[in-house]
Amino acid sequence: MTTELLKTVVEIAVQMIQAGAEIHRVEDSICRIGTAYGAKRTDIFATTSNLIVSVEDTGGEVYTQTRRILSTGTDIERLDRLNALARHITATCPDAESIRRQLTAIASRNNRYPAWIYILACGICAAAFCVFFGSRAPWEILVALLVGCLTGLLIKLTEKFTVNRILARFFCSFAGSLLAIAALRIGLVQTIDTIIIGNIMSLIPGVGLTQSIRDLFIGDTFTAILRLIEAVLLALAIACGYVAAVLLMGGVAV
Amino acid sequence: MMDAIIQVSAALIGTLAFGLIFNIRGKKLLVGALGGMLAWALFLLLGLWIPSEVARYFLVSVAIAGYAEIFARVLKTPTTTFVMVSLISLIPGSGLYYTVASALNGDLPQFLEKALHTLALAAALSLGIVVVSALVKHATAYRNKRKEQ
Repeated sequence: MTTELLKTVVEIAVQMIQAGAEIHRVEDSICRIGTAYGAKRTDIFATTSNLIVSVEDTGGEVYTQTRRILSTGTDIERLDRLNALARHITATCPDAESIRRQLTAIASRNNRYPAWIYILACGICAAAFCVFFGSRAPWEILVALLVGCLTGLLIKLTEKFTVNRILARFFCSFAGSLLAIAALRIGLVQTIDTIIIGNIMSLIPGVGLTQSIRDLFIGDTFTAILRLIEAVLLALAIACGYVAAVLLMGGVAV
Repeated sequence: MMDAIIQVSAALIGTLAFGLIFNIRGKKLLVGALGGMLAWALFLLLGLWIPSEVARYFLVSVAIAGYAEIFARVLKTPTTTFVMVSLISLIPGSGLYYTVASALNGDLPQFLEKALHTLALAAALSLGIVVVSALVKHATAYRNKRKEQ
């Protein structure tokens, strides 16, 4: 195990966490890779915001690297490929250069849906859940679709300018609610309950909550607490966005 | 009945869209979306015998977590892939909305009732996932141990 190799291995761990991996899975993968390269012992402590890896080679030399992780999201395709890469490394022990090449290939744009599909998916998600929660009026569904697309667009934009995630969710919820209330004011729709719920469904940190509980029971208490607090703050930000829009427009009554 | 069909189809489309948001591709996207449809169909079906929403949330969560464990092995992907998308329709987003809405209206009793109900649903959902993943984990550990002996 050399410093160069450790750098690439740590990079894999960081990217797995950024793609939304479970912490124990990341720690497990890195330990396996360490053993495969003949390390005497591998210690890793990972959370969703920080990572420390320490490897002791057969000569007794210890290499340690630490990384700060600033943003996490959910990207299943990337996660799948990173997992496959980790398994491949454990099985064949390639050199650092080859791992780096494969990492670049995984990061390529071809593995991601284009932005317009993402934005449209947000719209369809909001519209589908608008129907799901009891709306049957065509105009309501259409407004929900627009609100969802606006949210998707804002999420993409805020990601580009790396706005704080909690603040970003607040703005998305705020803008979506404003649009819905505007539709209510001009008489396009009779009620905005289901439209707002549809929008909430495409913003809500459901993943964070369930992952947090799982982490807690697996024993990653630290990550569980981080994730739980983030999920609660995101939910509050979404709620506050709606409240701010209602207060600004002077209530939701027509 | 018509309402149930509309709800289940909406769950399918909503889950599919969520799969796109999470960048899930190919067969996995299809399996995840079908799981979402199954989840809500099961929830409605169980409603015939079990009136409690919280209890049904727990049972559906267990069933879908099992579904996720099976297809994760078939398609060689982490279990989370399906757990995350297939249970989307059960995430109490409407609970959050009505909690906030009653707070805005100054209706304190309703606010408390909605908030507690939303928390109970979220807890039931998470607990179901945890029960299955703990069972699977221990079962795998037990099998590996027996193999070694």
